[in-house]
Amino acid sequence: MKMTTGEPTDSPALTKATDLCRDHLGPPTMTELDRGLDVFLTRIAPTKRWRTRIRWSVASTTVALCTLAVLLVASVSWKRWSAKAPTLSYRIDGGSVLDGGYLRESGHAGMNLVFNEGSRLALTAGTRGRLQIVDRDCVHVAIERGKGSFQIAHKNNRRWLVDVGPFLVTVTGTVFTASWNPLSEEFDLMLREGSVVVRGPVSAGEIALRAGQRLVANLAKVETVITEEIPEQASTEPPPAPPAPAAPPVTPPGLQASPSVPSPTPAAPTAAQMAGDRQWSRKLARGQWDAILQDAKRIGVEATLGQASSEDLFALANAARYRHRLDLARSALLAERRRFPESRRALEATYLLGRVEESQEVGTAQAIAWYDEYLTRAPSGPLVGEALGRKMTLTDKLEGAARARTLAEEYLRRFPKGNYAGSARELLAP
Amino acid sequence: MPMIRSHVPLSLVVGQDRRNASDGDIARALSAGETWAAAETWRRFAPMVLTLARRTLGSHSEAEDIAQEVFHRVYRKAKNLREPDSFRSFIYTCALRVLQTELHRKKMRSWLSFAPPELLDCQVSSTLDVESRDLLREFYRLLEQLAPRDRIVFILRRVEAMTVEEIAAATESSQSTVKRSLTRASILLSRGMDDKPRLADGVRWGR
Repeated sequence: MKMTTGEPTDSPALTKATDLCRDHLGPPTMTELDRGLDVFLTRIAPTKRWRTRIRWSVASTTVALCTLAVLLVASVSWKRWSAKAPTLSYRIDGGSVLDGGYLRESGHAGMNLVFNEGSRLALTAGTRGRLQIVDRDCVHVAIERGKGSFQIAHKNNRRWLVDVGPFLVTVTGTVFTASWNPLSEEFDLMLREGSVVVRGPVSAGEIALRAGQRLVANLAKVETVITEEIPEQASTEPPPAPPAPAAPPVTPPGLQASPSVPSPTPAAPTAAQMAGDRQWSRKLARGQWDAILQDAKRIGVEATLGQASSEDLFALANAARYRHRLDLARSALLAERRRFPESRRALEATYLLGRVEESQEVGTAQAIAWYDEYLTRAPSGPLVGEALGRKMTLTDKLEGAARARTLAEEYLRRFPKGNYAGSARELLAP
Repeated sequence: MPMIRSHVPLSLVVGQDRRNASDGDIARALSAGETWAAAETWRRFAPMVLTLARRTLGSHSEAEDIAQEVFHRVYRKAKNLREPDSFRSFIYTCALRVLQTELHRKKMRSWLSFAPPELLDCQVSSTLDVESRDLLREFYRLLEQLAPRDRIVFILRRVEAMTVEEIAAATESSQSTVKRSLTRASILLSRGMDDKPRLADGVRWGR
């Protein structure tokens, strides 16, 4: 037993155990050593190292190739994108660009803008225009006053937007002329080629125009007229429907027991037509209003009003409005309200009924009543600004500026940059 | 076709005897990737590692696994060896680390397993008489209760007969730590052995 000063003394049994351990658990024999050596050499054999190395190199190569592929795809995409959308530049003849993109005429012969992609824009003399955005993806032009002729080369998926007064024209490749007269509040768009989509204060939604159509919107007269200007285009359309019998005047909500419906020429509706699958919304978006009216005539207006779907009724009402078929528009809108009272379209129909009544000289009071109902039923609806603005305008016309000022104040408070903000300020001006 | 014969006399070249190489030479050769160095490292140091592992673990088979692990580590780390001349102590320290890790692992396994651990393998027990086998088995059962560090220190001091200074250097700890470990281990083991009267009888009989 080995003892060192300061170390504890082991018990005899423990000392015996450690002696046994030392004696019986000794060095390995040569056979054991050789066997262990074989195992060791096998373990560190180059094949194994190479296998590990190969495994690692395969993994590294895979990762490198993946990274390379990603970089390559990104590079090709970038190049394609760059090639697709080259930088847009333009030249101005007869004028110059001021700060903020305003176009200034240098003479009295108008201005011509020629873009390097082939698009052209001609502004007549006295036109006040502005280049709001000219970049790789989008061109946004504004005509604040006057007339502009556009020849758009729709290339590289570039978006062309044209503000014409309060109207926004989305160009989808086309030749057209657009003008805005702020004094008469008249918007005029003549589309010669291609198609455009117009958004503005006279329509609840979008108006899609196709080649040969002309849209004239007069805000002061609350008048929107779309006409076919090219004979061959008109000949392809079905002949316009005969004017429907005049409907009795519509009493504002609350005063009327039941809306009147014009009696159209009856026709036997087919099963598919009765099922409501008329796709009038699509036709409306394409500007095929005459086709919608023709369909309704063929099916039978009464049957249509009684059985058409909510969307079809709404499309019919808009087609009739665009074609100045105010009686049919009114009937369709009233049917929308009666048959689908809880729908979103019923609310929009309430507003549009105001627009329809407003179009008639004697309908001002009734229009105000419809706007009132819309404002009550949808106090935060999408057309509140329009309804309030129209109500203000009509109140001014019907009852005088003193009554309209309250509405003007409310309008400016809620919509300081709205379409009627200018009129509201005029009303409030001392 | 006539066969061309060279008339230049051949000379016999005798290879260098690697058994005379110093520890530093072996370490340097191993670091350089010379093939003979791995085998020579095993031949020279495996007895030391295997004996230490057998005595610490009480098992031949576990000791072989430990030795393989130790030499594989040495082989991988040889290129980074700073002092080739201290190759022996490097291997010894490496063996102690591997042993300590293995003891920790065994402790964890014993907590997670319901089966009692094998205390003494048959290769060891077959060469012993009944009393000695029981004594050794009890010794290793008590060693299982020690902390890995205490167990290693006790084996190094009492079985391997190393000094406290040598143990402190090998285990990379202070001498006082070694002494505390030794005291803890000695007290626990002595008390445990004295609690078995039959073992004490065996000891008396053995004497």
